[in-house]
Amino acid sequence: MIDFVFLALSFFAVGGGVAMLINNNPIYCALGLLISVLSVAGLFALLSATFMFMVQIIVYAGAIMTIILFILMFLNIKEEDLPHEPKKNILITMGVILMIPINLLILEGVARLPDSDMSIVEEGFGGIKELGMKLYTEWLLPFELISILLLVALIGAVVLAKKREKRGTSYD
Amino acid sequence: MTSLTGYAAVSMILFSLGAIGVVSRRNVFIIYMSIELMLNGINLFLVTFARYHFNMDGQILSIMVIAIAAAEAAIFLSVIILLFKTKKSLDTNVFTELKQETE
Repeated sequence: MIDFVFLALSFFAVGGGVAMLINNNPIYCALGLLISVLSVAGLFALLSATFMFMVQIIVYAGAIMTIILFILMFLNIKEEDLPHEPKKNILITMGVILMIPINLLILEGVARLPDSDMSIVEEGFGGIKELGMKLYTEWLLPFELISILLLVALIGAVVLAKKREKRGTSYD
Repeated sequence: MTSLTGYAAVSMILFSLGAIGVVSRRNVFIIYMSIELMLNGINLFLVTFARYHFNMDGQILSIMVIAIAAAEAAIFLSVIILLFKTKKSLDTNVFTELKQETE
């Protein structure tokens, strides 16, 4: 049963990624990425990372994908605005051929690690309580740094999106 | 099937698809989405090894990656809006403002 769920989720994750890679229209690419992100959330649940599952759905599928789709609709991209990519298929094929040896190398390394039980843990691992305890004690400094980074990004986005004055007058 | 190697294979495939997208596509939106796909693959790798070692540090690292991805989304998309407003195109070949003029 778990095997079947794992196979289905990985199929959808990889299929969404491939759909994103080969489509020309950004909306279809965004939908492919959405499928992929949701399948990765399911894989997190299979790895008994329940909090990560929630964060992935709320932040990725909820916030980031909404911003992407919102901006795609806001810009009102027409067919002629899209870049002309005549050599796309050749480049993607060459990329696949180049990436296969790297993947095989890493998988060979991973396959040599000793086997371990990867079944779902019932309790006490990956939940919101355990993760919170770890995050606010051992990882307190990185957590605060991340909050400063998010503040900087917020201010940067506001500055970038602010209405521009005429060129030459704004830097006086 | 649900072994370490299976999860590692899925995450490596996701990362490779993202890397191929970054180098082979010319639409800035698709390049951005490919970066997100790469981050997703890395997250899956981190969470897989967190489960393998029964240690939650990997999950906390992947929460940090998600927070950085959220910050990146805000900045990247506002930059895309500015670029599209000035150039009316999504082609990366058009954005050569920083290129040095050669005689």
